[in-house]
Amino acid sequence: MSEPEIVPDIMRISWGPQHPMSGQTRILLDLDGEKVHRIIADLGFTHRGIEKILENRTFLQGIVPIERMVMADTPNIGICYIKAIEEAMGVEVPERANWIRSLVCEMARINSHLYAFGLQAESTGYFPAVFLWTTVDRAWILQLFAELTGARWSLNFFLPGGVYKDLPEGFENKVIEGVHYLRRRFQKYWDAMVENYTFEMRCDDVAILKPEDAIRLGATGPVLRGSRVAIDVRKDEPYAAYRDLDFEVITEDACDSMARTKVRFREIVQSLNMMEQIAKEIPDGPVRTRVPFFARPKAGEYLSRVETARGELGVHLFTDGGMNPYRVKINSPTLRNMYVFERLAELDEILMADIPVVINSIDPWYLDSDR
Amino acid sequence: MSRVPESEFVEVMKAAYGDKIKSAEVLRSKRASVLVKRETIIEVAEALRDEFGFTIPVSGGAIDYPKEERMQMMYYLMHPEERFILIYRVDLPREDLRLPTLTQVWEAMSFHEREAHDMFGIEFEGHPNMIPLLLPPDWKGGHPLRKDFKGEGVAE
Amino acid sequence: MNPVLSVWNLIATYVFLPTDLIIQWVSDFFNTTMDILLHLPQYAMEFLTVNAKPILQITILPGLAWVIVYAIIAVWFERKFLARAMLRVGPYYCGGKAGWLQLIADFMKLFFKEIIIPRDVNWLFFLAMPVLLPSVPALAVILIPFDTHWVLWDVGGIGLPIFFAIAGIAPLIPIFTGWASKNKYTFIGAWRVAYMYISAEIPMVICGAAVAIMTGSFNLVEIVKAQQNMWFFVPQFIGFVVFFLGVFIQSERTPFDIPGAETEIVLGWRTEYSGVLYGFVMFTEYVMLQAWALLFLTLYMGGYNGPVLFGAATASHIFWMVLKFVTLVTLVILCRCVFPRLRMDQMLKLGWYYLTPLAILNLIVTLALKLMGVF
Repeated sequence: MSEPEIVPDIMRISWGPQHPMSGQTRILLDLDGEKVHRIIADLGFTHRGIEKILENRTFLQGIVPIERMVMADTPNIGICYIKAIEEAMGVEVPERANWIRSLVCEMARINSHLYAFGLQAESTGYFPAVFLWTTVDRAWILQLFAELTGARWSLNFFLPGGVYKDLPEGFENKVIEGVHYLRRRFQKYWDAMVENYTFEMRCDDVAILKPEDAIRLGATGPVLRGSRVAIDVRKDEPYAAYRDLDFEVITEDACDSMARTKVRFREIVQSLNMMEQIAKEIPDGPVRTRVPFFARPKAGEYLSRVETARGELGVHLFTDGGMNPYRVKINSPTLRNMYVFERLAELDEILMADIPVVINSIDPWYLDSDR
Repeated sequence: MSRVPESEFVEVMKAAYGDKIKSAEVLRSKRASVLVKRETIIEVAEALRDEFGFTIPVSGGAIDYPKEERMQMMYYLMHPEERFILIYRVDLPREDLRLPTLTQVWEAMSFHEREAHDMFGIEFEGHPNMIPLLLPPDWKGGHPLRKDFKGEGVAE
Repeated sequence: MNPVLSVWNLIATYVFLPTDLIIQWVSDFFNTTMDILLHLPQYAMEFLTVNAKPILQITILPGLAWVIVYAIIAVWFERKFLARAMLRVGPYYCGGKAGWLQLIADFMKLFFKEIIIPRDVNWLFFLAMPVLLPSVPALAVILIPFDTHWVLWDVGGIGLPIFFAIAGIAPLIPIFTGWASKNKYTFIGAWRVAYMYISAEIPMVICGAAVAIMTGSFNLVEIVKAQQNMWFFVPQFIGFVVFFLGVFIQSERTPFDIPGAETEIVLGWRTEYSGVLYGFVMFTEYVMLQAWALLFLTLYMGGYNGPVLFGAATASHIFWMVLKFVTLVTLVILCRCVFPRLRMDQMLKLGWYYLTPLAILNLIVTLALKLMGVF
């Protein structure tokens, strides 16, 4: 590979695709003893050409491939593309559909954050204990998804004009039950793991990212909010029902890996509150506005932004009056955060033993950066 | 909400830099677009970052218009206080796809310019690390996101 | 000179004489062999009755069977215990609901797997090290007394220094292994082993010296006898804490399993092994824990001391030793489910800034108590 050259006395390790903790990517580390001299991210292992695929599908057909970008919170990605299509077609979404969309999006956000937390604890050597606890707790969310939509992970539940069908009988009660269960578990996690002395030893003061650097390097999501910058698309451009739900934007002061983990953790609490509010206050009404199957929206460009669990996702849709989009440009959150990760070795001293902790505090999902 | 920062920005932009850009407009609420000439791209970019305060680099990508024989490179920027997105565009003729790199203004555009180079073939002059980002390093086919890409690749 | 006679002389010397000797040797050989074979049962019985106790010790306790059976039971127990802590069940299908045959199944599977030797590796070290890896700590296990006269390797009064000498050799083998595997990850694991073991061994040797001073002898049996009234963890509390941490560090258990940190450097210095060699390498972890845990029990927790049950002194001493050992191993396994792993620099800070000064403090306190005549 035409990589930058190796400086003498530096050992280059390929934290490669064949590694227990690397995910689906390769990261080249230049090591000087245990200290990391430079990080080079080698992305592109899971590049599937989703942007090109979407140019050859109709608008309704394109909803399925684009949701495969991040498997852990697929509704958040689906809603971004669908908002762009709705703007292009000029379709009005009914109120109840918006609330259902928010409910499903928040459940997916909890799913993704619990998964990320399990990975973070596993990377400090907790052996899979915490990861298995979070898997058990995520199971009830996935069970609710299965009852609602028929699928556990990639839901494809949203359509332009609303959602596919209404909530089943008694669904709101199950949601409230699950919220109470997870609130009790959350307290256990906080006491036993986040406030665990050794876990704090591993995560405190590791890879400090100052606010100016976070903004300059384009960080997004919990990486940005863990560095004291309060930017959240759900507050800036409210979509779905977020204008009516009350939640706060979580930031942390410490700017290190522990802060990023705590931001995700406290966002789970916010999502639980939102779910409870939705289950109690959801308005009645229709859930779908009919949209023609082979729709031809008018030509133009439409950019829609959404806050996924990893950060801000943007879908810029160009239409030319035909049945397929002309171009779909996807602004992926993980690609922005991976650039921050590359520069972290220069901003702060990182040891090789910190690398899994840092990677999982940034929470990348490589299918998202590679598309 | 009587103050609309996007239209204020577009007014100031047209007044101050009218000769260096081709057009500036508000697309809808919270979206603005500036189409700049290729020669003045760096100067206007530095003005956007320092004077107007667009310090958050969001993304970058390109789009191919073969019928009009041009490609357009777009950079997405965000303002940290006003929180609206600016799409900073430049038109390139299809025969001459060269552009000075914007990593000198916003460092984080590095990955996005590498991707545009892979997918469209746009050359960025002065880029610090122009190696393929998403495509394999031994890719001998064309540029995938162009409209005339026939699906060729490393056929073995 | 008669030419016929000289030729006959030549033939006799070089043909008949050697043949004669050969026939005599062969018949002698057969006679002796038949003699031995006929008397073999008698010889075997004499051998066994004279050496009964050492044979029992070598094969059963604390020899081959003890080490292997302990490793098997410990692996099974660890898997079940860890599984319960992680809301799982552990081995479930082999051998009823308890899954106790799973270990045998795993070991048999390892036998049948291919041993992959990477191309550029130093094959002599690569193949030799996994054999040495469990053998060296096992050599240390056989020094420990299970009763007043139940010591397999009776070195006659210098048991403690010999244990530390063997423990000094023990870190070299993972270092050779990591170097020989010709892989950057194993190389990192090798130097981590070097750092970690050195920083932990010095405080432990100093603590051992303090115990020896308190007893007045290096003999492990004497040390245990001196604890008949009060176990040594009471007067040497600081040494107890230091040595306890040292047991974790020296046997590479969480939270100190840094050289074999799976999430960072695949399996550290053990990465390149597959098949039976992998079985040996994993077996080593339990043998090292056993060696250090037994020494810890001998030095601080009274060794085989305990109330005599039913008048059988030897058997009850062995029983108490095994009971204490099982408790300690359970505690070590419990720590694995609860703690994450420390980082290398944090562990070195612990070893050099905290453990070594505490060990020296312990030594000074012991000397003071001894000189003042308290003990």
